Amino acid sequence: MLREEWRLHKSLIGPFGSGFFPVFIFALSSVLAVAASMVLGNISQSTILMMLHVAAALYGCFVGAMGHAGEQVMTRRLGQINVLLHISQILPVSFRRTMAVFYLKDALFYLLYSFVPLTAGIAVAAPLAGVTLWSVALLGVTMSLTFMMGMGLSFLLSAAVARSRLAAGALGLATLGLVLMVWPFGVLEPGRLLLPLGFWGRRDPLLLFASSLIALVLPVAALPVIRERIRSSRERHVSSLLSTESRFSFAGDMSTLLAKEWLELLRSGALTQAVAGFVGLILGVYAVVWLFEAGIGIPLPFNVVSYSGFVGLVGVMTYSWITNVEHNESLNSMPVSVDMVVEAKVSLYLLLTAGVSAFYVILIGLARGELGLVPLGLLVAGATSVYAVAVTAYLTGLWTNTMFFDARVLVKFSVAVVPPLTAIEVASLLMGSGAFPAVGLAVAVALIQLALSIPLIRGMRGMWESKPFSFAITSSKVN
Amino acid sequence: MGDLMSVIEAVNVSKSFGEVEAVKGVNLQVHAGEFFGLFGPNGAGKTTLLRMLAGQLEPDSGEIRTAEVSHRDPIGIRRAIGIVPEVETPPTFLTAREFLELACRIRGVDDVRGRVDGWLGFFEMEGERNVLCRDLSKGQRQKVMLASAFIHEPGLLLLDEPFINLDPIYQRRVREYLGGLVDKGRTVFMCTHILEIAERLCTRVAVINRGRIADQGTIDQMRSAEGEGLEDIFMRLVEVG
Repeated sequence: MLREEWRLHKSLIGPFGSGFFPVFIFALSSVLAVAASMVLGNISQSTILMMLHVAAALYGCFVGAMGHAGEQVMTRRLGQINVLLHISQILPVSFRRTMAVFYLKDALFYLLYSFVPLTAGIAVAAPLAGVTLWSVALLGVTMSLTFMMGMGLSFLLSAAVARSRLAAGALGLATLGLVLMVWPFGVLEPGRLLLPLGFWGRRDPLLLFASSLIALVLPVAALPVIRERIRSSRERHVSSLLSTESRFSFAGDMSTLLAKEWLELLRSGALTQAVAGFVGLILGVYAVVWLFEAGIGIPLPFNVVSYSGFVGLVGVMTYSWITNVEHNESLNSMPVSVDMVVEAKVSLYLLLTAGVSAFYVILIGLARGELGLVPLGLLVAGATSVYAVAVTAYLTGLWTNTMFFDARVLVKFSVAVVPPLTAIEVASLLMGSGAFPAVGLAVAVALIQLALSIPLIRGMRGMWESKPFSFAITSSKVN
Repeated sequence: MGDLMSVIEAVNVSKSFGEVEAVKGVNLQVHAGEFFGLFGPNGAGKTTLLRMLAGQLEPDSGEIRTAEVSHRDPIGIRRAIGIVPEVETPPTFLTAREFLELACRIRGVDDVRGRVDGWLGFFEMEGERNVLCRDLSKGQRQKVMLASAFIHEPGLLLLDEPFINLDPIYQRRVREYLGGLVDKGRTVFMCTHILEIAERLCTRVAVINRGRIADQGTIDQMRSAEGEGLEDIFMRLVEVG
């Protein structure tokens, strides 16, 4: 199982990129562990632990959902390449059993690929960070358990969605209710929701036992809920490519591909996921800041411009969703190159997110009484969106989700995106003390980002135009 | 043949994938109006060669001109020809009708509705025209791929196993259509394992084995003994190769 997952990663991003990812995590966690003692000196240990466990839970939720969404996406993008996904159709093995194995494989893989190097990285830095190796080992265990609980919960939720949206909605609301009881209402301690975190407060081994039990029960409960995959219906749609194309006529030559992309996004269900994901993440940024300010009592001098800077970064996820909709192999036989489709997807991304971003910036301006900063916020949001997606398109083409597992690509992306974002965030934080230079800095960075986007998009054409649409799957195929 | 116009010309073409040499120094000429067949055992390099001729894969070395377009202009090649790939892969979320409309619009074909209706009728797929390609049977998906390659009436068709998943009725219908095209002076280049069909249709053939062209010519030219059929020729060349 693990060998297949490793081979899949290697076939997609190469052995170096695959192998470098855990090394990257190891190095990053070492550096952060050392830096944390200096940077986070004013934040209590319990807050740091809470943030780490919340992150582990969210990561688990993401991976668990991939068991459902990822299965669809991988089937669309990789076809028969992943034997586990199709084994139920060719061997006497039920889909439930296949998914159980798939779940186990994913859990083991992500624990080994992420949490082991993370724990090892912190362990190496332990003497400098002033923590004992025993604490680091315990942290590895509690974070892994939190990850497994998050993964199990989202696996159960995603299985329930396929069976009954009502039941899944009720389960989701119940979970949300519990979360709200912790943040912001404070009725429940965080350690009561995230039991492995609770262990740090009470040191009760029973909590670790209960966590393990929950991490086991959640996926086991999901298995009978999973539907066996037997497609009996044929989905029909009245032909609307030509009418959609005429609606996108403003895009000129790109209108045909834009219409194709739009219909695929709509019919695959990815439109809801992409827009909801984008809205969720930008609201998440607001929520995290609010949490710090109101919940934990750490005031952050954020303003409209600070939030606007994150819009572009968050939008990369939306672009990634858009690139995951379809394998596009049929276009290998047509006079269309990969870069043309990338341009269509980038345009669709901008069309989808521009209105939401603008609304978000204006809403925050209204909520915080900073309407004067809204024009600058709109410029920053627009520039970071265009720049971040241009960098992403240049580095990853149509294979964003896959390529971001290549640590080399991730490093290049970070180098390109983090410095301007940091400059904008610093400028936004300085606006209270000296408005003019800070505003000037934010405007300059935004304009530089826009200017850099032009050569990036041009470079993207050269980078991807000669690649086949099956580049990540069959480029090594011999027949 | 020297005075005939070449629509495919491959000179010393090679392609490797890592350490595997898929195609080694292939020289090939296909002339206008020919029905050319390329045969070989599994893994011999047929699909790799066809993909290079179709502008889908760049050769490591050598020169290719397909429909008078250099391999350095793959989009130009794909614009000039019709291609049916080895595996039928129409878009998951477009209907059969929309996929054909997409092919027409991308290729700048006039009378989109008329052409699409015509090809849906040819394959008797009017009832499935609004079904998502994902939900079509394998045979229906193959029909859609064939229609998308034929719809702009190109002068050259590159077909990889075009009869796969088609029932005998449609195999015959496609065979007759391709024969008619060649009669009108158009060119068909086909990879297939169905040697009976190839023997009936092809005016010239080549056998590829382990990445090299083992022999090429008319079936008569390739016979080593009286009465030797294409299957015998194939077996002899592949076993020797």
